[in-house]
Amino acid sequence: MLLNGPISFDPAPFDDISFDLASRRKDVVIMSADLSKYCQVVRVKTELPDQHLDVGMAEQNLLSVAAGVAKGGYIPIATCFACYITRRAYDQMMICMGTGSGPGTNREAGPTNIAVGFTPGIANPARIHHQAAEDLGMVRAIPNATVIDPMDPTDFRAAVNAAVDLPGLIYIRGHRGDTPRLLDPEKFTFELGKTYRLKEGKGIGIIATGHGTQWALEASRLLENQGVDHSLLHVPTLKPVREHEVAAFAFAHNQIVTVENHQIVTGLGSLVTEIVSDIGRGPRITRMGLPNRWAPGGTLSHIRQALGLDAETMARRIAEMAA
Amino acid sequence: MRRTQSINDLDIIAAKIRAHVLEICRQRGGYAAQGVALADIAAALYFDELRPDNDGWFYDRFVLSNGHDAIMTYAALAETGHYSIEDLRTINADGSWVDQSPIEGQLGFEMTAGSLGQGASQSAGLAWALRQKGSDQRVYCLFSDGELQEGNTWEGAMFAGHQKLDNLCYIIDNNDMQASGHAADVMAVEPVPEKFEAFGFASRRISGTDTRELVDTFAEARATKGKPFVMICDTRLWDGIDCLQRALPMAHYTAKGAVDWDAGVAEIAATLATLEASRHD
Repeated sequence: MLLNGPISFDPAPFDDISFDLASRRKDVVIMSADLSKYCQVVRVKTELPDQHLDVGMAEQNLLSVAAGVAKGGYIPIATCFACYITRRAYDQMMICMGTGSGPGTNREAGPTNIAVGFTPGIANPARIHHQAAEDLGMVRAIPNATVIDPMDPTDFRAAVNAAVDLPGLIYIRGHRGDTPRLLDPEKFTFELGKTYRLKEGKGIGIIATGHGTQWALEASRLLENQGVDHSLLHVPTLKPVREHEVAAFAFAHNQIVTVENHQIVTGLGSLVTEIVSDIGRGPRITRMGLPNRWAPGGTLSHIRQALGLDAETMARRIAEMAA
Repeated sequence: MRRTQSINDLDIIAAKIRAHVLEICRQRGGYAAQGVALADIAAALYFDELRPDNDGWFYDRFVLSNGHDAIMTYAALAETGHYSIEDLRTINADGSWVDQSPIEGQLGFEMTAGSLGQGASQSAGLAWALRQKGSDQRVYCLFSDGELQEGNTWEGAMFAGHQKLDNLCYIIDNNDMQASGHAADVMAVEPVPEKFEAFGFASRRISGTDTRELVDTFAEARATKGKPFVMICDTRLWDGIDCLQRALPMAHYTAKGAVDWDAGVAEIAATLATLEASRHD
């Protein structure tokens, strides 16, 4: 089993991840746009100041300066809120960071350009402007981009560590503040594109990513108590994903439910639907996530309840499907 | 070690670059007026200012921010021998690998420059990285006055000024011409030097078509310590080919049939002959 026993919380995952990486790799530069504290970039800024670069409150500058830093031989890891690093600076992400590597460009493998988006989806209490409900879809649409939505500090750390050795644009959703340690670091090994079975069962197959995997695990425990048979697949890499693994999982179940902290259009639900639809005659797919309407603000538990994404409502819906 | 060219030699190179621009653009049209106007900057930059490395390329880094001016780089790199005129003649042809506005990683092009206003930041990031590494490589970035209307340009300038990047030199093609007309009418960008000085730059305003002045200004940029440098070049479209400038002063894009290419070629040939003659005096 890939999961931990009793759950503990990591109060600041990226502070340690960035500090450990920057200590080990002197060619890594952690970049901020006036939100270092709010992305939990504290130790690098204070203890490794030569490896921290703040461009001020300017997200387009963050990504275009980062692309220049990459061309100068460093590996930039640009950090900001997911809404700004994608929406506000999408052209810079695509053109400055995303056109130097891979098929259709001039190089097989160009400079590494990493962007980490914090408080994605409804993980931010300020509604609409601070909530990035479309970031995964936006970056997924960029050719050759890598898109990762980790579920906890363990695969978040692994994804960041893997990203520095990848060419081109890599977008990772970040975790901030008390984050449950769900995966067992002793047993979990991150591989780009790989999917992870967190629960084996029959009937309903749940496919989840990022915070959605946390929510799916909560629902899974309730379903287990109710005796509703199901499986759970964690898909941290949305691009490039091992499509055959997703397809094998989907076709081994009667019904599929996708869970994501992102709009049900263009994100994981769309990805799974596209994979299954391309093959044809697949199971019915129910997409759980943020609707294509403005979500409310407030605490995460409040917003989840309002959108029917709390564990109880999710479990009830899944149990009804299974019945 | 800096290559030293006589001013007369640089003028000859500039005339040859203008001839290349016409030869390349006359096939299918292009941003010929800009390429012609930038020939003196290209001669001073590629043949005098950028130091060579040991691999037949340049030690210093040139970042082109506006894809429209790629024709300048193509023509200059045809004169250095890095591109063949035969290849460049295919520019804009279906299936040709010679993009009118190239993608990052093509020889001579550090960044994808078709989305305007992103060079000021990328070159500043590059300059920061090189300084951080302890390299003495310098970074030059050419962009247009139209790009001064893009917010990203000023974000990059603010970063360069704040970081005191004295290994960075912006070259502004201040030609007062953008897609819809004169910049002064569309959205005024002046006073350009004062704006950059307010952002922490040293500046010098020049014609952009006098190679001696260009060489001197590059030297001033190199000698400037503690702040980035910006040279504002008041070029005008077609500078250096009078007959085309008189015929088509407003040519943002020059269609294939819009000008008498042969007349331009003849004028450049005459200019070149005069320059060659004075070299042998």
